[in-house]
Amino acid sequence: MFDFKNNLKDLLSKTGFSTAGIIALVVLLILPFIPPFNNEYILRWLVVGAFLAAEAVAFDLTAGFINVVNFGFAAILGLGAYTSAILTNTSPVIPVQVGLSPWLGMLIGGIIAGFAGFILGFLTLRLRGIYAAIMAWFVGIALLGIVRNIPKYTRGSLGYSPVGLLETTSNRPYFYIAILLLLVIYIVSKIIVSSKYGLAFKALGQNFDAARASGVNPTLYRVFNFTLSSFFAGILGGFYAHYFRSLTPKAVMHTSKTVEVLAIAFIGGRGSLWGGILVAFPFVFFIEYLRSALPSLPGLHMIIYGILMILVMIFYPNGVAGLIKWMKTGISRKKKYPISLSGS
Amino acid sequence: MNLKGIKMGDIRKENSTGHDMLFTGNMRIKSSKITRFKKNTAAWVAIVVTLGIAIVVGFAGGISQVFNAIIAGGMWALLAMGLAIILGVMNVPNFAHGESFMVGSYVAYFVFTPIHNYLTEHPSRFMSAVGPFIGFIMAFIAGFVLGSLIERLVFHPLRKRTKARWVMNAFLLTVGISFILSYGTNLILGPNFRGIPRYWDVKPLIILGAHMPVDRIVAFLLAMISISVFWYFLKKTKTGRAIRAVSQDEIGAELVGINIDFIHTLTFGLATALAALAGASLLFMFQAYPTVGLKPLYFAWFVVMLVGFGNVSGAIVGGFIVAFLQTATQQFMGIAWEDVIPTLVMMFILIVAPSGIFGTGVRGIQEQ
Amino acid sequence: MLKVERINAGYGYLQVLRNVSIAVNDGEFVSILGPNGAGKTTTLRTISGLIKPSTGKIHYNNEDITVLSTHEIVHRGISYVTENMNLFVNMTVFENLLMGAYIVKDDRRVRKTVNLIFDVFPRLAERKNQLAGTLSGGERKMLAIARGIMSNPKLILIDEPSLGLQPNLVDSVFDTLVKLHREGITILLVEQDVIASLEITQRTYLLEKGEIVLEGKSEELKNNPHIKNVYVGI
Repeated sequence: MFDFKNNLKDLLSKTGFSTAGIIALVVLLILPFIPPFNNEYILRWLVVGAFLAAEAVAFDLTAGFINVVNFGFAAILGLGAYTSAILTNTSPVIPVQVGLSPWLGMLIGGIIAGFAGFILGFLTLRLRGIYAAIMAWFVGIALLGIVRNIPKYTRGSLGYSPVGLLETTSNRPYFYIAILLLLVIYIVSKIIVSSKYGLAFKALGQNFDAARASGVNPTLYRVFNFTLSSFFAGILGGFYAHYFRSLTPKAVMHTSKTVEVLAIAFIGGRGSLWGGILVAFPFVFFIEYLRSALPSLPGLHMIIYGILMILVMIFYPNGVAGLIKWMKTGISRKKKYPISLSGS
Repeated sequence: MNLKGIKMGDIRKENSTGHDMLFTGNMRIKSSKITRFKKNTAAWVAIVVTLGIAIVVGFAGGISQVFNAIIAGGMWALLAMGLAIILGVMNVPNFAHGESFMVGSYVAYFVFTPIHNYLTEHPSRFMSAVGPFIGFIMAFIAGFVLGSLIERLVFHPLRKRTKARWVMNAFLLTVGISFILSYGTNLILGPNFRGIPRYWDVKPLIILGAHMPVDRIVAFLLAMISISVFWYFLKKTKTGRAIRAVSQDEIGAELVGINIDFIHTLTFGLATALAALAGASLLFMFQAYPTVGLKPLYFAWFVVMLVGFGNVSGAIVGGFIVAFLQTATQQFMGIAWEDVIPTLVMMFILIVAPSGIFGTGVRGIQEQ
Repeated sequence: MLKVERINAGYGYLQVLRNVSIAVNDGEFVSILGPNGAGKTTTLRTISGLIKPSTGKIHYNNEDITVLSTHEIVHRGISYVTENMNLFVNMTVFENLLMGAYIVKDDRRVRKTVNLIFDVFPRLAERKNQLAGTLSGGERKMLAIARGIMSNPKLILIDEPSLGLQPNLVDSVFDTLVKLHREGITILLVEQDVIASLEITQRTYLLEKGEIVLEGKSEELKNNPHIKNVYVGI
């Protein structure tokens, strides 16, 4: 599946890196050392940006390929977050004091979340696109409700503060961890999507019945897709827990959090995987800027998300990535009928 | 939803559900007696179970709990009906339906409160009785205007531009609308809860030994009347028939001279108006605040998922079934589990009856 | 009456019709013949407004209807009976007929037409309270045509009425069309059944690969070598 060719560019393109992508990556990597980005305040924005970008990629894996909007995404991420938080707990605030290392916690969080995704995949098996999305939404709400209703273990709405991933209070190392997570999630997703699995995903997404008739086993591929996407979400949840170190069910698992990721993924371009990354960073910067410049207008960013999403859906359904692709192929004035029946 | 039921050589048109929303009859041809019976079994089981729940709730919580469930049922039925019709006619899964409810609440609040204040200075028996209805009517109108505007400004352009992946795109559109409306309201009007203690300052009526506040009775009657009027509208009037025709075969409807754009706008406007009316009539219970629409949205969708998409008559019955489920959950586990238990029940039901309990075996939504 | 002038039309990137021009005069019975995929249905869909041509014009009674929407075109007296029939499957036969008369204001006229339909199609009369989805193929075709007549159109576009029907039903369908024509209704027929079509129509167009390759009086085209070779198999 992954053969090591001598041609570096070939390898890179297989894992989803164009020249522009490499440059962007290098820039991102050195950015934290360049003012004004080496400021702790701004660095935090970078971390959030990388985190959101990683979320968008994991989300796009399901939404952009098997055409199911996982509306419980934030809840599954929260599941990973709380799992990791509980397992790494050492304080007497909750009865579980296993005190695992947060790295291990993240991993286990990912596994538990992956398991939830596995179940969700099965559950929505017989449901088509929109039905599956609504069911995922229900499950997400239920998960939020469960976490909220067992404050003995989760502290519910009171809030819980997990241990930190690292000893340091600096944001910079967290940024690199976040970038690492982003890279791993992106590369793995890209490889899978470029393989026969990706083809199966797309087939299922485009025309469920036809795919099934062609021998694509929907169970296998759909469940696999959900599981993987949820596994990623769970790991990110663990990161969330041990970086932001503040968990309440509503802040992490609420539908509005899913919509934030959804907006990034769709505005970036569904099915592109990299579109969300491109869009996430500017968005985070813009939102943080709004928050500091206009503190009296809370939730403004959600309204902007809503407006952008509507505009994108109507005018540019393939998002920013689609727009860029369209410009690259240089079709400025499309001929209305490039294909003709009489073959001329 | 049911993969098995579709082998009937259906020629799917882009935006048609191919079945009549009012009747759970089968889409095409020979539904064998067996399949019809099987589908009805699920429905009968659901009804029997609901009756069982009603009895249990009655014993545990008293008859007033049963009445509360019935009233909630009327509300969910009204909301789910609007949702189902948007689904059936426009093929749009409306995630912003809760916001329609919210708008109704706010309009009723801002209309009724000044009237109420005026009445404390200048009491009038007549105005006290009629006042709330002014709020209801204004809410209905506001809902209709809002719905029509949204359809014209958002869905109409989308329809003109791209029919590909219509369902998902339209759904995401409604997500965007939902967030604009709720966060926008939060921004403009603030997050405060605006409520009223009651609409009518009269003694509660005593029905079968339970004290029922008049507000609740009126809300329920209003819901029932609205549902009946709407049903009559769909079944007997020319425009109503046109709406049904569009939901069955949009191209066919076009070909008999029906103005599809008009029908879409009318349908969305009406459905929004009905939801707004629900919000208005329940102001004494729910209060007006930006995210008040979340719970109605959840339950309306629950009903629709339960009974099968686009099924309007099923949505009405389903509203009551879900209300009893909700009440029972409240009763025995506490209100905090209201959003957990129903999901578990839904999961169970989906395993057993994937096309919903009143499902017609028809794919209600084009998977595009 | 109907003038289609050099229309180019298609679906998305796929062009189907290339500079197609057709004329139908008042009271005529004209047909468009051609193999599968030639664009016959596309032509009808363009005339009826379901799809819009990228270039070209369509005139009806000297009015430019090219950009009108379908329901406006129906209001002008054009009826289109599609190949798929597009019946309202969960409404009864009677309700379908009623819907067909959606644009007719006069109730008495509607009732008259319904009775007329039931005279001409006794099978439909028998099943008038039956759901359209439960009818047989032939009955559905009849209902589709009947519904198309309910709006009292001046021009009827009919798409492949004989498709999938038993031979005896095909005869009765064509008989009905001839009867309609005699009542003064202009008919534009799209058919694959070349022989029957040449028999009952006055003029015929031959559409191949999106282009009109032949046109003339049906009587004369019966002896046309191209038609005889390719379509009649002589």
